[in-house]
Amino acid sequence: MNTPLEDQVHDALHRRVDPIQHAPLTVTDVRHRARRIQRRRAAVAGGAVAAVLAIAIPVGLSATGTNQRSDVPPATQSPSPTPSPSPAPEVTSGTIEVDPESAEVVEQTPVPLLDVDGPTLITPDGTLDLPAAYDTLTPYLDGWAGVARYDEPDKSGAFIEFLGEDLRVDDGGVPTGGLVESPDGARIAWSEYDGTRWRVMVADPAGGTEPVETTFAPTAEEEPVIPVGFVSDDAVAVRAMYNIGDPKTFVASGGQPVEVPGLLQADTASSTLGVVAGITEFRPDATCSGVVDAAAGGGRPAWTTCDHRLGPFSATGTYVVGTLPEAESGSRDITVLDATTGEEVLTFEAALPRRTVGGFWTQMTWVGDEALVVRLASGEDYVMMRLGLDGSVQRIGIESAGVSGLKVAMPS
Amino acid sequence: MTTTLVDMGSQDRRGGRNSHKDADFSAYMAARQPALYRTAYLLAGDHASAEDLLQNAFAKLYLSWDKIRDHGALDGYVRRVMVNENNSLWRRAWKRREHSTDTMPETGAHDTYDDGMGGALWSYVQTLPPKQRAVIVLRYYEQLSEAEIADVLGISAGTVKSQASRALAGLRARAPQSLNPRESGDAS
Repeated sequence: MNTPLEDQVHDALHRRVDPIQHAPLTVTDVRHRARRIQRRRAAVAGGAVAAVLAIAIPVGLSATGTNQRSDVPPATQSPSPTPSPSPAPEVTSGTIEVDPESAEVVEQTPVPLLDVDGPTLITPDGTLDLPAAYDTLTPYLDGWAGVARYDEPDKSGAFIEFLGEDLRVDDGGVPTGGLVESPDGARIAWSEYDGTRWRVMVADPAGGTEPVETTFAPTAEEEPVIPVGFVSDDAVAVRAMYNIGDPKTFVASGGQPVEVPGLLQADTASSTLGVVAGITEFRPDATCSGVVDAAAGGGRPAWTTCDHRLGPFSATGTYVVGTLPEAESGSRDITVLDATTGEEVLTFEAALPRRTVGGFWTQMTWVGDEALVVRLASGEDYVMMRLGLDGSVQRIGIESAGVSGLKVAMPS
Repeated sequence: MTTTLVDMGSQDRRGGRNSHKDADFSAYMAARQPALYRTAYLLAGDHASAEDLLQNAFAKLYLSWDKIRDHGALDGYVRRVMVNENNSLWRRAWKRREHSTDTMPETGAHDTYDDGMGGALWSYVQTLPPKQRAVIVLRYYEQLSEAEIADVLGISAGTVKSQASRALAGLRARAPQSLNPRESGDAS
């Protein structure tokens, strides 16, 4: 038996729509839409085939990952531009000291930055006021997609939000495990919790194609699915935190997720190499990391290291960042590793004043294959640095609005 | 409410089967479109979005037509697709982009015998989160049971109950005084 309010809701809904006698659709309209859906499904299936083809190429890749893969015919037309051959950037070796005090100062940022206390978005073209502080923010459709973090009685944790062109939040948002972008910017991916299960969306920021959804088995919101990076043009690697502390790695490219064995915890991925990297072993004296193929299924790492925790891959998959495995308040150094062998190329070491706690944040971004933009903590101060693989060290001299400093808007 | 799917083979090897399919599908659409459009409108809140939701659901039904043996379950299938699509965050973002400049203001249906309360309640229903709103529409418009709603939404009956309870509490909190539990007798 209904309560009076339930009866009123029933009546209100019927009054609203009972006079509506619309039948606006024809069978032709429906057939057209059906064909669009079929084309999209075929494209997704083609993308999966492309990912499998890519890993069939022998893994003896040199440092020119993209060119090595260029003879694999794409299964579908990709909106991403084909990288034109360009001279290899100069790369030095050894250890480079990073001292913000003595570094050259540049006034422009090579990548978008977030001013946490502003909150503002700082781009090479100008500064935009934001409605809230965001962990990550990237262009999407006519506006932006971002991850905001809340700590309120009725709303806490990370939420994916969509902002309009005017930078106002269009949607209240839903819980998310994070937002990542493909190296060429042609796709973004995020996870969202719908009250029952986690879903991963892979979307074209330009809106050329409809987003593709991967649905996970029902779990609690507290067992998030965290995107870690793209493993092909359209597929993203994620870390699913099942049972809290027993994470599993999956590839999401539409439909059902595909498990990737071999990692205890996925941290990063490369779309050019088609690999996922993360922790492979916890030892009493070390935490070891490795790189596994995203599609081969064997789970055997191509290489491992117990000297570094692995961070973002460079855009072409030539390099991968290594940080100190046990760093708590920032990694004292950043080592650039050869992504196909794990060999050390060069190391950037933070020059911190004596008795000062700090180091490099693991949230950083690549500028092509040439440089990294990183946030360096030194005591209670934060500075943004551009570290060139040619050995150049520059401080990005943009002032922040408050003590929280700046950070990269979209980590690699 | 349960849709029975059987594999009828993916290829059409017999002549005329497509025309039968189109005739059957066309007859179903003609018979059910107005009613399902009303549900789409309640879920989406405006005519452009309702049309988009229904077109998408009909298209998916068309693609699965040969696999659905229980034709009594067709409405349930369409409802399920519409609700899931409408709950999808990306679709809402997509919709805003597609319709941000060409959507005419909604005039909706005129409440000819309404004292204003129906319009007010409808306004409140439109502010509910998509999942709660779906529960309200399926429960109080479609008159589905909690178990049937659970089947459509792919959630447990307990979750349906809690979503409905939260939605009603929200409506009660925002509704005008005349819906106050003490005045309306809705103290539960």
